[in-house]
Amino acid sequence: MSEPVAGIALAVVIVGLALSTFLTRTSFLLAGQRLRLNHHIEVALRYAPVCTLTAIIVPNVLLHGPVYDFSPLNPRLIGVAGAALWLCWSRNIVGCMASGMLAYSLARLYL
Amino acid sequence: MSAGAVSERRAAFRAGQLAILPSLPGTAAWGLICGVAMVKAGLAVPWAIAMSLLVFAASAQLAAMPLIIAGAPLWVIIVTGFITNLRFVIYSAALRPYFTGLSAAKRALAGFFMTDFTFALFMRRAQEGSLPLRHRDSWFAGVCANNYLTWQTCSITGIVASSYIPTDWGLEFTGTLALVALVGPALVARPALVGGAVAGVVALLAHALPYKLGLFCAAIAGIAAASLADSLRVDPPRDAGVAQ
Repeated sequence: MSEPVAGIALAVVIVGLALSTFLTRTSFLLAGQRLRLNHHIEVALRYAPVCTLTAIIVPNVLLHGPVYDFSPLNPRLIGVAGAALWLCWSRNIVGCMASGMLAYSLARLYL
Repeated sequence: MSAGAVSERRAAFRAGQLAILPSLPGTAAWGLICGVAMVKAGLAVPWAIAMSLLVFAASAQLAAMPLIIAGAPLWVIIVTGFITNLRFVIYSAALRPYFTGLSAAKRALAGFFMTDFTFALFMRRAQEGSLPLRHRDSWFAGVCANNYLTWQTCSITGIVASSYIPTDWGLEFTGTLALVALVGPALVARPALVGGAVAGVVALLAHALPYKLGLFCAAIAGIAAASLADSLRVDPPRDAGVAQ
């Protein structure tokens, strides 16, 4: 394609990205009472964190670029297993990350 | 405002700063890697810093990178960023009930600083009933302050020192693990487990959709499945504090 976006055009892109991001983040917060959701939907949204975070995590673990990796030797899968094992007896986040990274790194080094 | 109210606000702010503390290593590692990735993609250092400070949305920044380098039309880059960020619309809708009654400026600030992490932490505390009863906005401000400062410090370090930072240690995986730590405990409830499973499968199947639309579809499908599972339960559904 053409030359990279630079100069004023790049400034426009950055401000445009900042504004469009701000728009998504503040959409319902700023709409206030004008944009009220159905009560059932508002109640259903309590599952939003679990569902979006799982939807971020799963492809991070089971996709290697565009390719699926369901092998039990997949280091990321082993890392998540290590983290999950930790979560079975403690909710400490730092410990969870440490045990996950340990399992992940060992798997990458030795498998 | 009285002196007592001010110190109560400060206490809530501090409690928020403490609450996000354990997740910060994940934010730090992912911020570092994101900063490095922007420069390695070919963006000049000052522009990368400006983008990090103003946009503050890693997935949109990284999605825009190849388009900027390829010289794509400006509106294509901006629309790509918008679609990549569609999940924030869901977050914004979920947070709305807790922030009604605040001034528009405060709601705008809460929105600007909201991320996957800060949103998930706020919702988890709200559902456990462990948010402070008063000054929730100050508590959230404390969470967001530490999260933003940590992210920016590490992202800018990554941008400036990109050639010294190892990208083959898998440091970015720490960010994924921090999300696992936030989600894991919630998965013991059956509707959440159903929602998470559906969201995960849809995210895998739809990963090839452009603009991270797969993530948005997966979130919607998961939320629908979770509330369906909730309505099919024998015991009455818990409102989990949302409608209070």
